[in-house]
Amino acid sequence: MKILIIEDEPSLRELIERAMRSEGYRTETAEDFISAETKLAGYNYDCILLDIMLPGGSGLDLLKRLRTEGRRENVIIISARDSVDDRVDGLELGADDYLPKPFHTSELVARVRSVLRRGRTGGSLTIDIGNISLDPASRRVTIDGRVVELLKKEFDILLYFMQRPEHLVDKAVLAEAVWGDYADESDNFHFVYAQIKNLRRKLEDAAADMCIRSVYGFGYKFSPVDAEK
Amino acid sequence: MRLSLRILSTLAMTLLPIMALWGTLFYFTMVREINDEADDSLEQYASLIITRCREGRALPSLNSGSNNSYTLQPVTTAEAEAHLSPTFHDEEMFIPEKNEREPARVMTIAFRDNDDRYLLLTVATPTFEKDDLVETILWWTVSLFALLMIVVIIVSTLSVRRTLRPLYALLSWLDGYTPGQGHHTIPNDTDIKELSRLNEAAESAVNRSEDMLDRQKQFIGNASHELQTPLAVVSNRVEYLINQTAPTEEQLTELVKIDRSLRHSIRLNRTLLQLVRIESGEVAESDDVDIAELVRESADRCTEIYEDRAMECQVTTPEHLYIYINETLARTLISNLIKNAFVHSAPQSHIEVTLHDATLRISNDGTEALDHSLVFDRFYTQTSREGSTGLGLAIVKSICDHYRYGLTYDYKNGRHHFTVTLK
Repeated sequence: MKILIIEDEPSLRELIERAMRSEGYRTETAEDFISAETKLAGYNYDCILLDIMLPGGSGLDLLKRLRTEGRRENVIIISARDSVDDRVDGLELGADDYLPKPFHTSELVARVRSVLRRGRTGGSLTIDIGNISLDPASRRVTIDGRVVELLKKEFDILLYFMQRPEHLVDKAVLAEAVWGDYADESDNFHFVYAQIKNLRRKLEDAAADMCIRSVYGFGYKFSPVDAEK
Repeated sequence: MRLSLRILSTLAMTLLPIMALWGTLFYFTMVREINDEADDSLEQYASLIITRCREGRALPSLNSGSNNSYTLQPVTTAEAEAHLSPTFHDEEMFIPEKNEREPARVMTIAFRDNDDRYLLLTVATPTFEKDDLVETILWWTVSLFALLMIVVIIVSTLSVRRTLRPLYALLSWLDGYTPGQGHHTIPNDTDIKELSRLNEAAESAVNRSEDMLDRQKQFIGNASHELQTPLAVVSNRVEYLINQTAPTEEQLTELVKIDRSLRHSIRLNRTLLQLVRIESGEVAESDDVDIAELVRESADRCTEIYEDRAMECQVTTPEHLYIYINETLARTLISNLIKNAFVHSAPQSHIEVTLHDATLRISNDGTEALDHSLVFDRFYTQTSREGSTGLGLAIVKSICDHYRYGLTYDYKNGRHHFTVTLK
């Protein structure tokens, strides 16, 4: 899998590159419009991470050119222009996903994974880890081929973990990701504990290969059941 | 004080002493003129008596029909020498014909008759009453003063009103002006140079402050925007440390704390950017949004998150209420208000959310009223709370301003009431 990272901010470019490499992808980078244009003209990639505001031109123009040339590369727009217009423009031009800055590289990795998977499976976004299979579109979870009924919040939490296996997830971050801005001023996480407890039980009952481990009281890690703690 | 009143009082203050001085001078001038006339006639009369006396002719009878009277009495040489030239004075005299005392002008002169005797002649003629004169002059002066004042009132009121019409136009324009809401040109329909200059000055002052406001907004926007990438980079590096470098428990605890603070900064920054966008009118298109649904959803979320505080939240909404608004902003508006009620209420307290006739009312228990003038300001908080951006109600205000919704805060019977009129 070869990924082209088009991003002008050196620090961010380095982080994205590191994250992609640790996932086992090969990476190339471009720091401005001209070099991105040159790279795109000479090579094919599996996925392109595209910043919109580039020195020398707009990322949207690059996307437009790719699509008029009929190329089918997956494109994820990463942009600080956190406005709905850009999002709509980008997706209409045929971008596969849109991730507004600031984002976490784990989030970006999860998106890249799902975009590439969709490319392979011809549209399905299903995430498979161990014997767990989760389809975000139909909100269906199966373990060992059997459907597991999850409530809305339980599903959202599981989805978040499935996108970040083996990552330490701070419960404050999880709360914000699942409950949104409502959670940011809460002084405790009882509402998170209750959901985690139920989800754990359901995973255990279905004999899932993965479980949610507590880490030092402030977070969780989604890891294989038989793994060393 | 109104301008016409000010002109009037200034004129009155100036005219009053001038008129008083004028009245006094007029009085003394009149008195002197009248006395001159009287003295002349007394001198003629006296010289007639003296001539007749010296020629030995009959003196005029005392009651000759005129009011003049005279006395002749012999005096010593010494006494006569004091009166060789005529002297005049005023005196109250008894007029036998009228049987009353009247003011009179009296002339005294001594002369020598044919027998070389000294005679003292005193002639008198009734004259005017000084009190009457004073009264008359005073009356006319006061009348003149009053007349002038009335004329001044009428003229100044009319002319001030007409001349200052452009000024009143400017004032009502300024009253209706809100910075940052865009403005129409100030009406400048006057040929009075000062007022036209004033309008121009007001216009350019308004333009300057609009400019400043724009630049300030732009600055906040740019600053937040520029901060986003470095914040994200730092946050990602922290995440890298957490997940890839096997830190000790102590290091991990610190790293997670750093990450939480960073996320708070990122959220604060994002909210600030959102606020600037709304304030400068950068709002994506609107749609028919079911407000009732959003209200119920927000209340449910908050009830879930704050469940352990056992607050009772009573929600009353119609089945559906569609409002034409941008959905993200509608969500932010409603969730910020409802979250605010939950966050700032004590455990076991009672929260009431009512949506009725496109009016959203949210009330919760409180201990004291919030400052009405500050409650919707940025970073106005009673308590410093971890995780709070202090921008929640400022965003609510800016959304309401953008859509021209009514937004009020009240404190009644120990409860905070927030009311949004969604039309």
